[in-house]
Amino acid sequence: MTELVRIQEEDFCLEDEVKRLRAISNRVGSIVTFLGTARDFSDDKDVSAIEFEQYAGMAKKALSALREEANKRFDIIETSIIHRISTIKPGEQIVLIVVASEHRKAGFAACEWVIDTLKETAPIWKKEITPEGDSWVVPHP
Amino acid sequence: MVVKILFFGILSGKTGTKETTIEVSEGCVPLSDIIAELKTRFPELPDGPFIYAVNEEQVQTSHTIKDGDEVAIMPPFAGG
Repeated sequence: MTELVRIQEEDFCLEDEVKRLRAISNRVGSIVTFLGTARDFSDDKDVSAIEFEQYAGMAKKALSALREEANKRFDIIETSIIHRISTIKPGEQIVLIVVASEHRKAGFAACEWVIDTLKETAPIWKKEITPEGDSWVVPHP
Repeated sequence: MVVKILFFGILSGKTGTKETTIEVSEGCVPLSDIIAELKTRFPELPDGPFIYAVNEEQVQTSHTIKDGDEVAIMPPFAGG
């Protein structure tokens, strides 16, 4: 079975990931997704690509802990977290959070909490490739 | 004792390496001593803020380092 928490180079299919969570239980009445994609402009600079780096073992543990905590903290059924680590061009997909719940309010709250907390707790960094050179991204709140 | 050091993100660019080892006197030492030694060896290393992990677990600078530990020196996370 495909893992619900993955860090991978290859792209992912949003529809397949949503189907996977819908299939977990017939109690699912709401699916909330957050899809993060790469922009071609950041801090007044053109961006031609974003390179991601991770501390592999720790990053996977952090995302797994995040899924477990979300499932405990919110009235939801299941959470899926996928983060890509590779060179990503503008318009391409970076990160996907999918939350299955009985009702929408808990799903929205959990999804927002997962992406906010991921940014604070997952040892992942990104470098923007621009015509003026490469620069590591300072975290945005 | 020998400790493995990992640098991530902007810090590997500043130090010119992603990985190094550091040898310190026998016995246990606090992480803060290892950081002081790294700042001597890599003057380009900025003052922080850093996040530290030992054997893939986040720790504070008071954490005790043992022989064979893997210490990660990390800039603030920026995933997503």
